[in-house]
Amino acid sequence: MTKLFRSVRFNIFLGAAITLAAAVGTLIPQLGEAPEKAAAFQGAHPQWSRLFDFFGFFDLYHAWWFMGLLGLMALDIVLCQLWSPPPQFACEEEASSRSSRKEATLRRNPHQALFASRLPLERAFAQAQRGLAAQGYRIAADFATPAGAAFVATKHGLQRWGSYLAHIAFVVILAGALVKGIFGFVEMVPVMEGRSQALQHKPQWELFVDKFSVKYYDGTREPKDFASRLRVKQGGALLAQKTIRVNAPLDIQGVRFYQATWGAGGDFRSVTLKAGDVFTELPRHARRRIAGTPFEVEADVMMPNFTAEDGGPATASLDLDNPAVRFIFHGGARKIRPLWLFENDPQHCLVEGEDGALTHAPKPPFELAAIDPVLFSGIQVAYDPGYKIVLAGSGLWLIGTIMLFYLHRRRLWVIVEPQGGASCVSVGGWSSRGAQDFEAEFGLLMERLRAEMEPRSDLALSRNPLPEAS
Amino acid sequence: MMMQMMLIKSALALYAAATGMALTYLFSKDDKWSLWMLRLLGIGVLCHLGSFGARQYLFWQIPENRWFFSINSFFGALSFLALAVAAAFFVIEREHRLGILGAFVLPCAALGTGAAVIFADPATRGLPPALQSYWMNIHPMVLMAAYAMFGNAFGVGLALLIQEHQIKSRKPSELCYRLPSIEELDNLNYKIIVAAFPILTAGIIMGGVWAYEAWGRFWGWDAKETWSLVTALLYAGYLHMRLVRGLRGRKAVYVSMLAFASVIFTFFGVNYLSDLHGYLSARG
Repeated sequence: MTKLFRSVRFNIFLGAAITLAAAVGTLIPQLGEAPEKAAAFQGAHPQWSRLFDFFGFFDLYHAWWFMGLLGLMALDIVLCQLWSPPPQFACEEEASSRSSRKEATLRRNPHQALFASRLPLERAFAQAQRGLAAQGYRIAADFATPAGAAFVATKHGLQRWGSYLAHIAFVVILAGALVKGIFGFVEMVPVMEGRSQALQHKPQWELFVDKFSVKYYDGTREPKDFASRLRVKQGGALLAQKTIRVNAPLDIQGVRFYQATWGAGGDFRSVTLKAGDVFTELPRHARRRIAGTPFEVEADVMMPNFTAEDGGPATASLDLDNPAVRFIFHGGARKIRPLWLFENDPQHCLVEGEDGALTHAPKPPFELAAIDPVLFSGIQVAYDPGYKIVLAGSGLWLIGTIMLFYLHRRRLWVIVEPQGGASCVSVGGWSSRGAQDFEAEFGLLMERLRAEMEPRSDLALSRNPLPEAS
Repeated sequence: MMMQMMLIKSALALYAAATGMALTYLFSKDDKWSLWMLRLLGIGVLCHLGSFGARQYLFWQIPENRWFFSINSFFGALSFLALAVAAAFFVIEREHRLGILGAFVLPCAALGTGAAVIFADPATRGLPPALQSYWMNIHPMVLMAAYAMFGNAFGVGLALLIQEHQIKSRKPSELCYRLPSIEELDNLNYKIIVAAFPILTAGIIMGGVWAYEAWGRFWGWDAKETWSLVTALLYAGYLHMRLVRGLRGRKAVYVSMLAFASVIFTFFGVNYLSDLHGYLSARG
């Protein structure tokens, strides 16, 4: 079992399964995000729907098996990290004084250099350390060898922490999501302008929308701004107030109030009717004679996006895309059926029968010039105590990957041996970058080091050059 | 508008000409073609920048759009992505002087610009309230910079596959001697991906922070979010396999190409699945 969790193959399989599942979830309409599309899919494909329902595909990201995969990944990472403790700041293995092993290590390195220096052993040793320190290397350990002295120098040793941080970050992110799932909440609160509504998750808090406004780009129905003037009260005491917009929420003790949407529920303050050049303002449910006509009417119902459903009036949405108002006629010798007039299409007129059926009718001598609707503001109230944990995890992930992939660990083993009054310096190098990439850097580094150590080409080396790395 | 279109069409013509030079260089031994490719590309990038500048001027005529980049439409986003691919290639080419890679990368820039000119509506519109945030200038730009780099890595990977095929074939053509070695291409592919990966990650995290500021949640499993995560996981898989398993050459390129397919789907396909990120297809 432990072998299974530690195997790279299992990790790749798990990662691939999560990736595939996440991708599939974007192709099947999700109940949380698009409930209408999910319902339409279920209606159109009943056979598939039963299968998808069984596996929770319509709410895939919250399905038990998807959560299980994420949990398994987190467990796997935790176990792997327990088995592989975090790297130490100091290179413990270099601290060992097993010089013969170090020398053998040096000889195995893919990058090697050997040169003679005029300096005696102690001065050559100190100069080599100074030279490498000037190039950003840290002297990790020094020790005696049978014939001289040696040291290990490292650079960008932090890279070893990159993998550790990147993996731990995944667990931190999942922990943040778990905190949100347990302690957080999200609710959509539609509040009519001028009214208030208590929150479900914070019933002692009452949300007032004093004013809602929406502005459109000229000549279009594309909104350029919508905002709500909010007040939040607790037991009559004002907690906070602010005009919120998209991207500018109100925050009270971590509970955030977002301007999410708006719409028209069918309520309106008044309508303006036009007969010839004469305008008449008509409050809702008020009977009034239209100036310039013999008709006394009452406006009673509004459909924000009028459509005929099963022959009767209905609204296709809460958007003011095709607003229409029903007018009831009062008085007069002849009974006139209620009429539907349209704000965006003054020539259009429908008459409503006793059974609610709609039929086209000739245009009356007045038209609907304007509607003053009462809009509702859709406020999304969210509390996410896991946000900062997720953000910290994301930051760790970013730092971890940058350390892992941008920093490249370098390690040099330097052996200095006496040769008469002078010294012989052998250097072996290793880098976490590819051998090809480090080749040029190592060559340049050795050139500099050699120049700083008073080289002498006339001195014959007492030992053979280091063997080629295998 | 006229200036914008004139400049972007000039950029398209120059990218196409630079692609022609790169293809000629691929089959010839004359370095002058490579030099001309770089010159034409440089002028093309300048024209494209000019077109972007002209578009910005028009875009900022709408007060609500002031100081935001005009990448909220399919035309703007595609044009910017093609510009980023061309500019990233220009930087990589100047650094590495491989010459030959233009034949594999520049068609992407030319196709992207061509698609923007032919299929997309260049008109500028007012930003919807959700996009009127300083994140608009950061989050998509960072992600598209990463996508452009991945586009370059894709070109390098393609060159690697061709080179490997040439080496394995019994009768390698002249192309085999023109292309860099497999190791060099593999290293370059890795270097580009490793440079782009943290940028992609940072872009996704920025998107999460913006989503929290605008909608109250860091992550909502929206199609765009999910596919950008899929892309990141695929590239992470590539890097993981390269570092841990020492995956190199053809197999590594296959994984990176799969990840690039995910980039393409994230940029183009997901706009038709996501309502929140559907602004590129005018659905958001």
